[in-house]
Amino acid sequence: MPVKVMFVQLASCWGCHQSLLDLHETLADVLPQLEIVFWHTVVDHKLHDVEKLPDKSVNVGFTEGFCRTEEDLHLLKLARQKCKLLVSYGTCSTYGSIPSLLNLYPIEEALSRKFKEAESVVDGRIPDKHVPKMLEYVKPNREYVNYDLFLPGCPPEPPLIAEVVTSLLKGEMPKLKERTLCDECPRVKSEVIVIKKIKRDFEGIPEPEKCLLEQGYICMGPATREGCGAVCPSAGFPCKGCMGPGPNVMDQGAKMLSALASIVDYESISPEELVNAVKDVVGTFSRFTLPSSIIPKAVFKKK
Amino acid sequence: MAGNFEPKILGIFCNWCSYAGADMAGTSRMQYPPNVRIIRVLCSGRVDPQFVLKALELGADGVLVAGCHHGDCHYVKGNYRAERRIALLKRMLQQLSIEPERLMLKWISASEGAELVQTVEEFVNILKELGPSPLRKTG
Repeated sequence: MPVKVMFVQLASCWGCHQSLLDLHETLADVLPQLEIVFWHTVVDHKLHDVEKLPDKSVNVGFTEGFCRTEEDLHLLKLARQKCKLLVSYGTCSTYGSIPSLLNLYPIEEALSRKFKEAESVVDGRIPDKHVPKMLEYVKPNREYVNYDLFLPGCPPEPPLIAEVVTSLLKGEMPKLKERTLCDECPRVKSEVIVIKKIKRDFEGIPEPEKCLLEQGYICMGPATREGCGAVCPSAGFPCKGCMGPGPNVMDQGAKMLSALASIVDYESISPEELVNAVKDVVGTFSRFTLPSSIIPKAVFKKK
Repeated sequence: MAGNFEPKILGIFCNWCSYAGADMAGTSRMQYPPNVRIIRVLCSGRVDPQFVLKALELGADGVLVAGCHHGDCHYVKGNYRAERRIALLKRMLQQLSIEPERLMLKWISASEGAELVQTVEEFVNILKELGPSPLRKTG
């Protein structure tokens, strides 16, 4: 009997589903075992078809993206209602990810910027008809519904997806690895790391073998969970932290901020120089996890 | 509200200098505003930024981190770490639209009871000027 699955896309870029397609031939083994009951970008089942399904009749549901509008929220709650097992698929769904950095601005200001003030806009107006209402700020999906499994990554790497999907098909609960990224990163690390100069990502060419953090690039490895196979550092690009916080960490941004401050050389870099080198503190350290941080959004004084 | 607002301050003091400094103020019978609740940690380098954020999230109006003067740290470099963390944290708070003045870092040695008194008075005045934290849950 085929396994019933549904894929729900909330506010997201479709990148996670793209990553699923990157499984290539593996899909050929997996697809015949699946019956897709809802995946609005791929199969032609409508929302009202899903609404008619009995509760808990779908075996596995995958949610990609976060809730930006009331429609997203409805979809998310519907997915929870219809699925026996709900998987948070990708970083947007698990932690909020990059678009949720909009939590730093009031929604009115953001809408006005996008629809009225943008350089390309002439006589703009904020759309108010036939569109779902925007939510004031982004909360991580887990604050709306309960999940059975979190599969972070921006996007989750195909081998990780394959691992999860195959064990789910076998009826087993996949167990994701939980150490930090540095543990699986192949780069060579010294016992003690001291940074004399902080480099932006585009400055210079990184040495191929040595730890990127040691070379002065802000690599989020120490505060990030493993599981992606350290693809970015292996390719010479510092980790940006898309897998979310490592074990026992509440706030990935605060943890990385703390780590960086303790490895800079005190004689070469003053506190002011450090702040100027990092510039965008929230956007660098909490790039993927702002809505799941201790302070999840900017605090605006009530007028 | 503004007239009789008393800020709640979390003090995170290092064991070797600032906590001893607070003891000094106490044993010398110096008077200072009762707004600060002090937690002792072994070193200002132990102050995890998560502690500060959590305190603010729970509604503290201000957080005062105090440690040894440069060169005096019992663990050699803890206060240098604290200094850089607080600098980054202040920028983070600014981006989150929380006044960075709600976070204060001071070096207070074991003999500087008077300095502690002055710091707390100064911080209370700054916070009274700023008003209650926007994250405060109750009055």
